[in-house]
Amino acid sequence: MFKLLKEVLRTGEATVKYPFAPVEVAKDFRGKPEHQAANCIACAACTVACPANALGMETDAGAGTRTWSINYGRCVFCGRCEEVCPTDAIRLTPDFELAVAVKADLVRTAVFRLAPCVACGKPFAPEKEVAYVTALIEATAPSEADAERRRQLVATCPACKRAHDLGQIAGSRVVRAMETSR
Amino acid sequence: MTRHITETDVRAAGPFAKIDTPADVVRMKSALLKDIRRSAYVYRVDCGGCNACEIEIFASITPVFDAERFGIKVVASPRHADILLFTGAVTRSMRMPALRAYEAAPDPKIVVSYGACGVSGGIFHDLYCVWGGTDKILPVDVYIPGCPPTPAATVYGFAVALGLLGQKLKAETHVQAEGERVAVAHPSIPYNLRVLVEREARRMAGYRQGGDIAEKFLVMLEQPGLVPLTDRMSTFAAAETDPRVAEILARLGDVVTEAIA
Amino acid sequence: MHAPTATPDAARVGSDTIAALRLKLPHAVLDESWQTPTQATLTVKLDELPNVVSTLYHEHDGWLSVMAGNDERTINGNFALYYALSMEGAEKSFIVVRAEVPAATEEFPSVTPLVPAAVWHEREVRDMFGLTPVGLPDERRLVLPDDWPDGLHPLRKDSMDYRLRPEPTGDDETYQFKNDAKGETTVVPLGPLHITSDEPGHFRLFVDGEDIIDADYRMFYVHRGMEKVAETRMGYNEVTFLADRVCGICGYAHSVAYTTSIENALGIAVPARAQAIRSVLLETERLHSHLLNLGLACHFVGFDTGFMQFFRVREKTMTLAEMLTGSRKTYALNLIGGVRRDILGEQHVATLRLIGELREEVTRLVEMLLATPNLEGRVKGVGILDPGIAREYSPVGPTVRGSGHRRDTRVDHAFAGYGGVAMPVNVGDGCDVLSRTLVRVSEFFDSLSIIEQILADAPGGPVLTEDFTYKPHKFALGFTEAPRGEDIHWSMTGDNQKLFRWRCRASTYANWPVLRYMLRGNTVSDAPLIVASIDPCYSCTDRVTVVDVNKASSVTVPYKEMERYCRERTNSPLK
Repeated sequence: MFKLLKEVLRTGEATVKYPFAPVEVAKDFRGKPEHQAANCIACAACTVACPANALGMETDAGAGTRTWSINYGRCVFCGRCEEVCPTDAIRLTPDFELAVAVKADLVRTAVFRLAPCVACGKPFAPEKEVAYVTALIEATAPSEADAERRRQLVATCPACKRAHDLGQIAGSRVVRAMETSR
Repeated sequence: MTRHITETDVRAAGPFAKIDTPADVVRMKSALLKDIRRSAYVYRVDCGGCNACEIEIFASITPVFDAERFGIKVVASPRHADILLFTGAVTRSMRMPALRAYEAAPDPKIVVSYGACGVSGGIFHDLYCVWGGTDKILPVDVYIPGCPPTPAATVYGFAVALGLLGQKLKAETHVQAEGERVAVAHPSIPYNLRVLVEREARRMAGYRQGGDIAEKFLVMLEQPGLVPLTDRMSTFAAAETDPRVAEILARLGDVVTEAIA
Repeated sequence: MHAPTATPDAARVGSDTIAALRLKLPHAVLDESWQTPTQATLTVKLDELPNVVSTLYHEHDGWLSVMAGNDERTINGNFALYYALSMEGAEKSFIVVRAEVPAATEEFPSVTPLVPAAVWHEREVRDMFGLTPVGLPDERRLVLPDDWPDGLHPLRKDSMDYRLRPEPTGDDETYQFKNDAKGETTVVPLGPLHITSDEPGHFRLFVDGEDIIDADYRMFYVHRGMEKVAETRMGYNEVTFLADRVCGICGYAHSVAYTTSIENALGIAVPARAQAIRSVLLETERLHSHLLNLGLACHFVGFDTGFMQFFRVREKTMTLAEMLTGSRKTYALNLIGGVRRDILGEQHVATLRLIGELREEVTRLVEMLLATPNLEGRVKGVGILDPGIAREYSPVGPTVRGSGHRRDTRVDHAFAGYGGVAMPVNVGDGCDVLSRTLVRVSEFFDSLSIIEQILADAPGGPVLTEDFTYKPHKFALGFTEAPRGEDIHWSMTGDNQKLFRWRCRASTYANWPVLRYMLRGNTVSDAPLIVASIDPCYSCTDRVTVVDVNKASSVTVPYKEMERYCRERTNSPLK
């Protein structure tokens, strides 16, 4: 009993002041993921990596848009999105004050426009992603001719690329040789 | 036996009707919120949580966070409760016990859905043995996200539930602006070299600490000046007081040296 | 036909045991494969399965860690069972006994009559795969809810989508509780809305007056279907975060066990620094978990001030976790091949400071707890786990160590960064609640020293390797010593960048079956204390059914009332 009283006296006030004063959190605390939409190329790396499916990406071909979304109510705050993002567009912040009365307030979205395919004109990939990759090609391509070829590739939709590849293969000498040998 | 799935199997939370709150109860509830002037009793219902939420609730009512300061008291029976706190994604076996606990609490009652699982099913949201969140079976008043919510987040959530603090979060939609483009970071450093540095930093210290260290390192590389690169890198590493960070910086320096050679 | 006798290989630990087994049962073993130098898998004839498992268990100091079922019809046309034994005799290794169950019969001879430790595993494999253990007397479900459709076995590859939710058919529970009492008993139901820490589990105590004659329980109220989602919706790295959520108290131990199983299966050399960091975090998790249990021990003997003091100090362990991982709970720090954060100089220093403070404060609190006169009276001689019963059921952690068995995965099968660490195995021979509590106290202080040792010796270098590729249908065990004992995972890789099968056995799963024996012969007021002494991890709901053997009456007591009775020991709810 004496030991207990001594311990209680020694301890004194143990309680934090929160919410009347801010509470201290660790430097790299994993709180609310903050999305900088301006920095996002809508590449979907985060939505693939998210173990809880809190991040989503929906394409509306008719409107020519792709909508990125985060549901803070489903988020497990693991930080995988931050880890895989190629443009540092999402980062976990120390903010933990997320409680809401209206469930819809837990969702944040960002709408991105799709770029049209240079071959068929149908929207296929986010405009910002195409622009970003094009800029990378310009920075890394060994020659101007090569850069031009790759720029074309990036701006072409997968369906057109496939059709193009098939045309090339059908026209190639190897295939013709194979066909005659058969 | 093979059973093929249909859309309804996946979507339906169950054939049970959602509980409606009668108008007079709604009125009583807002009166309770506005004018509570006494302790609010909380009863916890675990609907299949992993215990992380349960332990953080414990932490919220013990000395360091001490939610009892605000009169929030955890009680042993739903019959005494003003606030019901539902954790877990609502497993198949816990649906009825959860509904019984809800029925047992007297009106008006505030239902708080706690943690990612309670709010939306969390990482378990679409599994075969869960219903995917409290609001699939009950009307919910306040949602506290987190996996698990920290005790401070819990205290904040209680304050929102009792109308003491307003919610901060608002639904927002960003629409891509005209000409909105993402610039390639550190344009003066060759892209492939930057990727090598960032990868090595992540391998050495992970995405967060490694990422921050790589960023500092790249900023240093970009600085204009006449001092040779190798000298700059070694001065930078030598100025670092944390031996582990110095080791990582030296490693990044090696990556640059190897790439140039 | 004689199975070829493998030449004992000095580098392979366990080969002498296998040679001895082949000598005793010359026709049993069909195939032998090695996953790591300390892990072998023996494929045996189905008829010989019980004999092989029993021989390893009883003659070679084997303990049954886990049994995994697997639907291998797409690989070899059959189902397969993997009984993993932790060999703790002269050769410390894992030997996995594998038997194929023909898809045509869907039956296998039950191992339980020879090795009772297999009982829950065999019941589970019947639920999840629809394989019948012939000779297993207990025909009740274990994992699936009472109203789950008959004949729908979630883990069969062709049975259902992981999202299928059959409509609920009934609101009542139909589970049959077991009672071995000779005379009549009163039933005390406890739960499902709860027992020790508010998780669902339904207990039924069969009592004569105040004395517990027998007990049975229905768990798995929290069954969610994690093993299924791991092989469908998720990739390998996503499952590490799912494993974090197997248990909110010791999730990191599961995450490490899972990643280790994949790393073992693929032969990935995880960097030493990553392994050291994993061990530091595992010990951090043990610190908070043991303080939680010591706090609860205070609570259940009616010493609530002590409970509050332990929880106050426990916050320091949460601060430590937050500083090292960014989160107080669910550390989310593993990837296949390493970890996601480093321990930099600043954190190293802060860790040592917190360790120092914890050592000082907990020393005082433990002195205070042990000086409480009420304590010994309540916990000494209560909830005896007979060492013989323990040997039969293979329990783990402080539960088995409190009954004199020297089992600790960190020492028996060093994993993560425990290889070079000097640490004792704490055992107690009281076999009671007190003994288990004292084991936890010693372990708490050992954990502090282990963290200091590992931090002092941690090598430099990377914390992650990505230098590997996934190969299909490789499998192995991964294991950790969680605060409650060994967590063990068995994983098999698939051919679509996803798991083919993930079997996760939590430590408490191995401890539940012995609880019945620990409750027998005690009084009703001690029940919550005894349950808390295995430090259970289940999520419980509020009733205890007490059945009086002599009066043949049944009273349902709210759990909190039981808890109150346990603490105050006045006004029995049974009168």
